[in-house]
Amino acid sequence: MKHRAHHLHDERLFDCYLTERGGDVLDPPAAEHLADCGECTARYAALSEFMETLRRDGEAEADAVFTPDRLRAQQHAIARRVEHLGRPARVISFPHRIVQRTLGVSQSRTAPRWVAAAAAAGLFVGVALGASYEWNMRRAPAASFGTRDVSSRIAPAAVRGANADDAAFLSDLELALERPHTRELQAFDALTPHVREIRDQR
Amino acid sequence: MSGEFRPLPVDTPELGDDAAVHAGGRRRLHAPLSDDSRLAVEIRGLVEQGAMDEARERFGELVALHQRRASRIAYQYLRDASEADEAVQDAFVKVFAHIDGYREAWPFEVWFTRILINGCLDRRKALSRRDRWFVDTEVSTADEARAVAAGASADPEHRLLARERRARVAAAIDRLDGRQRTVFMLCHYGDCTPREVSAMTGLNESTVRVHLFRAARKLRGLLGGKP
Repeated sequence: MKHRAHHLHDERLFDCYLTERGGDVLDPPAAEHLADCGECTARYAALSEFMETLRRDGEAEADAVFTPDRLRAQQHAIARRVEHLGRPARVISFPHRIVQRTLGVSQSRTAPRWVAAAAAAGLFVGVALGASYEWNMRRAPAASFGTRDVSSRIAPAAVRGANADDAAFLSDLELALERPHTRELQAFDALTPHVREIRDQR
Repeated sequence: MSGEFRPLPVDTPELGDDAAVHAGGRRRLHAPLSDDSRLAVEIRGLVEQGAMDEARERFGELVALHQRRASRIAYQYLRDASEADEAVQDAFVKVFAHIDGYREAWPFEVWFTRILINGCLDRRKALSRRDRWFVDTEVSTADEARAVAAGASADPEHRLLARERRARVAAAIDRLDGRQRTVFMLCHYGDCTPREVSAMTGLNESTVRVHLFRAARKLRGLLGGKP
């Protein structure tokens, strides 16, 4: 049994572990001591086991995540990314034919001035005709709508009076309510009975 | 996230032949160019000649060589599958874009890991900023992925215990000092030797060893000696 002071220090043991892991031979004094001292051998074994387990666990964990399939996918991804490296930037040339055609068109556009004059004249005539047509349309419908609306709106209440049929009156009312300008009255309409409802009651 | 330790920028000229460690398995000093470094030199040559298609093809091989390790590191840093995935993609794309800056004196693994970790740290910072302002109400993709991964195990109790253990370990690693965490991550999950970590971080190798030891001691204390 050797004295504790003669035991290998932890740091020395760790050096031994690193040396052995590196595939090198332990220095003779340390190797001799480890061969003789049971306590140091046990400490060394515990240290080695701790470090190796730690390493094995870590490697196993990483290898479980990076499966062969994943590594293959990674290889492909790297190959794809590397594919674009080292290649000079590609300059896309503008198609020659299109350039010529475009130039030709622009030349023919600028050449005859009468085309521009004719286009301006056509635009003027078009605008003038459109304006006059709109003016006529505004005048004509105003007169016709006025007469027709008055008759249709007033007729149900005042002209037909008591002789008018209830169903016809209500249907007229519904038609009137469907017009866009009476939308705000639809709330009131909801409170009044509909023709359909009255018929159903009958 | 304060005091986050950042590896040297990728174009630091301090990396010379001294840092020429070997990638792939256990690495040695002053070893001939590793497979990945040789491939990187070849890709650089193809890019310089303008043979981009061939360079891309060869780059696919380089990606396949480092992809799993890079994903492990990024996942341990970010604890989110999608974020880690994007960080790895960004790192590879950055490598291809700046392959003309690669020097064979630098082991490719060291160069690439620096780029990856700097990207991860930027993402961590962005995530912490986002978490400060937004409350996460949904289960994160990392949790989902872990749940899926744990789904392989039939025993619900085992599943639950494993999840709890992983959460405890992640929380403990998160409590490490920024420099300790970076060194620990690189060494433990990135499978780097202290010398490689020294080349990546610009720290003295003995300092790296001290940080590693302190990180391990703190983790053992936080986890009660058992992970």
